Amino acid sequence: MARPERPRKSSRRDFLKIAAAGAAGATVAPAWRPAKLRAKPAQITFLRESSYVKEFDDHFKNILIPRYQKETGIKVNYEIVAAGGSAVPRLVSIVESKAPVDVAWLQLEWLYRDGLLDVSDIAEEVGRQGGGWYPAVKDLSIWEGKWKSVPFGNIGQVMVYRRDWFDAAGFTSFPDTWDEFMEAGIKLKRAGHPYGMSMGHGYADNNSWLLPLLWSYGAQVVDKDGKTVTLDSTETAKAVDYVRKLYKEACLDDCLGWTDPSNNKAFLTSQISCTNNATSILISAKRDLPQMGKVTDQALNPKGPKGRFHSLVATTHGIFKHTADPEAAKHFLRWLMDPKQVTDWYRSGYMYYAPFVHAYDHDPEWDKEPRFKPDQRVLETGKLPSWPAPSDRRAGEVISKWVVVDMFAKACTGKSTKEVIAEAVTGLKQIYG
Amino acid sequence: MSVNPALEAAARPAAAAGVVTRRPFRPREWLEREAVFSWVMLTPPLLFLLAFLGYPFCYGVYLSFVSRPVAEPATFVGLGNFGNLWHDPIFWQAVWNTFRFTGAATIFKLVGGLGMALVMHQNFRMKGITRALLLLPFIVPTVLSTVAWQWILDPGMGLFNRLLMYFDLVKQGPSWLGNPTLAMLSVILVNTWRGLPFFGITILAGLQTIPGELLESATIDGAGTWQRFRHVTLPLLMPVIFIVTTFSIIFTFFDFQLVYVLTGGGPANATHLMATYAYAISMGGGQMGLGSAAALAMVPVLGLILLAMTWYVRKA
Repeated sequence: MARPERPRKSSRRDFLKIAAAGAAGATVAPAWRPAKLRAKPAQITFLRESSYVKEFDDHFKNILIPRYQKETGIKVNYEIVAAGGSAVPRLVSIVESKAPVDVAWLQLEWLYRDGLLDVSDIAEEVGRQGGGWYPAVKDLSIWEGKWKSVPFGNIGQVMVYRRDWFDAAGFTSFPDTWDEFMEAGIKLKRAGHPYGMSMGHGYADNNSWLLPLLWSYGAQVVDKDGKTVTLDSTETAKAVDYVRKLYKEACLDDCLGWTDPSNNKAFLTSQISCTNNATSILISAKRDLPQMGKVTDQALNPKGPKGRFHSLVATTHGIFKHTADPEAAKHFLRWLMDPKQVTDWYRSGYMYYAPFVHAYDHDPEWDKEPRFKPDQRVLETGKLPSWPAPSDRRAGEVISKWVVVDMFAKACTGKSTKEVIAEAVTGLKQIYG
Repeated sequence: MSVNPALEAAARPAAAAGVVTRRPFRPREWLEREAVFSWVMLTPPLLFLLAFLGYPFCYGVYLSFVSRPVAEPATFVGLGNFGNLWHDPIFWQAVWNTFRFTGAATIFKLVGGLGMALVMHQNFRMKGITRALLLLPFIVPTVLSTVAWQWILDPGMGLFNRLLMYFDLVKQGPSWLGNPTLAMLSVILVNTWRGLPFFGITILAGLQTIPGELLESATIDGAGTWQRFRHVTLPLLMPVIFIVTTFSIIFTFFDFQLVYVLTGGGPANATHLMATYAYAISMGGGQMGLGSAAALAMVPVLGLILLAMTWYVRKA
């Protein structure tokens, strides 16, 4: 039997339904407006690693962000990640989870290059304006014919040493060859001032002298073709023997277990006379330990039989593919890399990030503190850590598994040269298939 | 048959409604049924566990069967990742290190924690404050305390070597983190230091539940201190010791922060644990699949160890 129809009365429930629908409508309404009526994006999120140079971060926060906001009305959210290895995992997770970040400062971009937008137009424009790019960085930023990032600057890894102790040992200028470097080290260790050459599981301070040393002996890890493992050679054996002797006769024992902050600590507490590092030691010494600041100096890596080399620690900027508004992100990056902005930004950090375009080769800022100049000259002989192989994910795996660093470290703990090279080759072949 | 008309009238509407009419639904009553109520109570934690433990775990298991570089689509490789690890000498070194690290640290923590609990069980002045202070290593965030340990273990400036030299025990202190053997010993030491209060306090709680009469009667029967400990205290403590050891094995097995901060797995992989190696492969090498396989490879082995322990204690 059908229920008798009751006249419908407007109830409290109906009222709630109508109210909810109204509220929902009001919320989604802006999205229905025609595209041309929509306002410009209200904000851009920019992520970067905090700099070891505070003034560099301050310049961005206090001058560049307000300037962009004033010029465009777009708010810049500045997300900062602690320096020293936290940024890369964060970048990987941004790509993986498509987190709402538009533009980012990048490092080790071979890991997540596929999540980046093509920025060829910006990179080519910046290169043209800046008198051309240093060629080495192109191998990092250009991938399959397209620029996936706009190079920013290189964190120069050079020899940082105590000039007073070197002088006392009879070396008035920093050793020019690896053999002289050994000779000075032996004398200095005897005088109670050993070297502290990192060979532990850090990222930069180990590779930045071991790879250039290997290259300067004429050895290469993997061939240009990105497939053939070329590490097993007499040149590699010579480099391994050299490092074993250097460790034993010139270095502090502890450097085998060091992570990246360890050598800064050892240098600033006067335990070592020389290490390979970025400018951070010199900057800290000048700021916090004026006495030490006066006698701390920087020099290029010594040269070997095949020349002088440096390992680049390149930083770039890129835009994530998943950004909500690619044009807005590009506008911001183009504006940021414009000499009107970027020149003062480089200078605010005392050129800690050495620009990859030639226009800054003779920037007056370099003359203010000649001890920073080697950081610029690194670009002349700098190669990417994967060199001569392409900077792809496999080359990144070699670094993250410390295959080459551990080859040297194992030799220092007593294994034979043949054995350590064979073990490294096994590791490399596993990665390169 | 005469029927009370009033009753008949009252029964009619119900009969007319027949099966169509049900008892009115009363949410309160429904909720109070045990089967319903228990599920209502269980659902939020279950959902929480599923979202934050179940999902990542299942995703990890899925990842371990695929080749999945960052920002690239996954391709199914079956047991390929595990096969890859099988032939990876660093992986085997990490496995061996993890077992050594877990075994040594757990034994140290167990023995030390038992000793700590026995001492804390005695009556002495400032007992309360001493107990509170002993909890400190457990309370301080690991990263923070590990950075402090980095200073303590520093070869030139560190407390350890300063003490050794002060007492003329050595001319030059050893390199605690640079020597492969000492580096492993150091990470075990720091883990033991951090985990000791957990053992100490939990075993102390167990000790306090042992009735004094049992110990008194053992004394009357002529048992000495050692015999009382061996035959009364220890057997009664076993369930607590078992639980605390099980937890500790799990925590120690997957320890990451300590090694990551102190050595990064160096020198020459001497302190690389499975957790740090899995991290290096995933986040450093961008190989999500292979990294997940490295992280999960030992879960079955750990499961077997824990099962064997449970079986042993049940049997005992």
